[in-house]
Amino acid sequence: MGVITDNLPGVLEPLPGGSVLVTAVDQLINWSRSNSLWPLTFGTSCCAIEMMMATGAARHDMARFGAEVARPSPRQADLLVIAGTIVKRMAPRLRTLYEQMAEPRYVMATGSCAICGGPFMYHSYTTIRGADEIIPVDVYVPGCPPRPEAFFYGLLTLQKMIREGESIRHPGERRRPVLAALPEGMTLDDIRKEMQDLLSHDANVNMTDAAAEGAHYSAELKDF
Amino acid sequence: MDAPNLIAAVQALQPDATVRAQSDRPTLIVPAHALVALATRLRDDPALRFDLLETHTAVDWLDEDRLELLYLLTSVPLGHHLTLSVSVDRDAPLVPTLCKVYPIAEWLEREAYDMFGILYDDHPDLRRLFLEDDWVGFPLRKDYEDDFMLERPE
Repeated sequence: MGVITDNLPGVLEPLPGGSVLVTAVDQLINWSRSNSLWPLTFGTSCCAIEMMMATGAARHDMARFGAEVARPSPRQADLLVIAGTIVKRMAPRLRTLYEQMAEPRYVMATGSCAICGGPFMYHSYTTIRGADEIIPVDVYVPGCPPRPEAFFYGLLTLQKMIREGESIRHPGERRRPVLAALPEGMTLDDIRKEMQDLLSHDANVNMTDAAAEGAHYSAELKDF
Repeated sequence: MDAPNLIAAVQALQPDATVRAQSDRPTLIVPAHALVALATRLRDDPALRFDLLETHTAVDWLDEDRLELLYLLTSVPLGHHLTLSVSVDRDAPLVPTLCKVYPIAEWLEREAYDMFGILYDDHPDLRRLFLEDDWVGFPLRKDYEDDFMLERPE
């Protein structure tokens, strides 16, 4: 029945007549969702420039995590990165963009302004004190602006969240928003290692691991 | 043209213009009523050729009860710069518009109106530029306050 069904028993079960039965569908869906985040082309100030340099250029290329396809239309995007100050006049437009995105949609707030208003918190006549006053946020990435590795730590956190996240039985149920601050003592080398592990383990389907996991599921199904 | 020559040349055109102290580029204080005529001559004079209004902004001197309007002029062909400073009363900030001389002034003056409430006489379209049309007050004035603003706790 082909390489996938042979190597992933439990996830895809072949049925007589040539069709397949997908059993661990949540896993499969969340895995593909987390690895095909399409960000919306949206940025309001300096963090957006930093983000474009961090994600689009060669050194910290976001394409490695399947998130490089920036979409100019919110109807085709599922990741909204709020990069920059949100002012009173922008707020309704941001809300509209968010509402136009199809579920499942994820929101990252990067930088001090998007988290709490940042340096414009006091004595400002127009700055919104945090994008979460307008729309729900999944991951907060602190920094002014965040360093590229902090941004990628946030992206990895979001991917983890998605993988642990919604199931078919409980759609729309999410984990609480998390702060993707770099843990104390974490170095650039640690992040690089985590990225590399993720890339080697995850971006390519590891047939041996998946088969072992699948066999486990198959055993459970037999008992059932 | 270097700064002393430039100031001398402009003062020849406008004898009552005085030099503004503490400026990092040649700055002349001129009366509001002379602004349009002087700007036209600065633009058309073959020795000066100020063909670009780089920017126009204002400063709120709350203690002195005046608004200072700054016009930053540049000559692209001759490569020299000049700033004109005009002071107006805070309560009746009325100046003639420079739209007829520099078309870019239309939007620069709309911004200054939006933020400082300066009224430009004969402006073709004096509406707010950045803020909502129903905004009350002029937020870059030093005494501006509204309900949205937060005081910094001590």
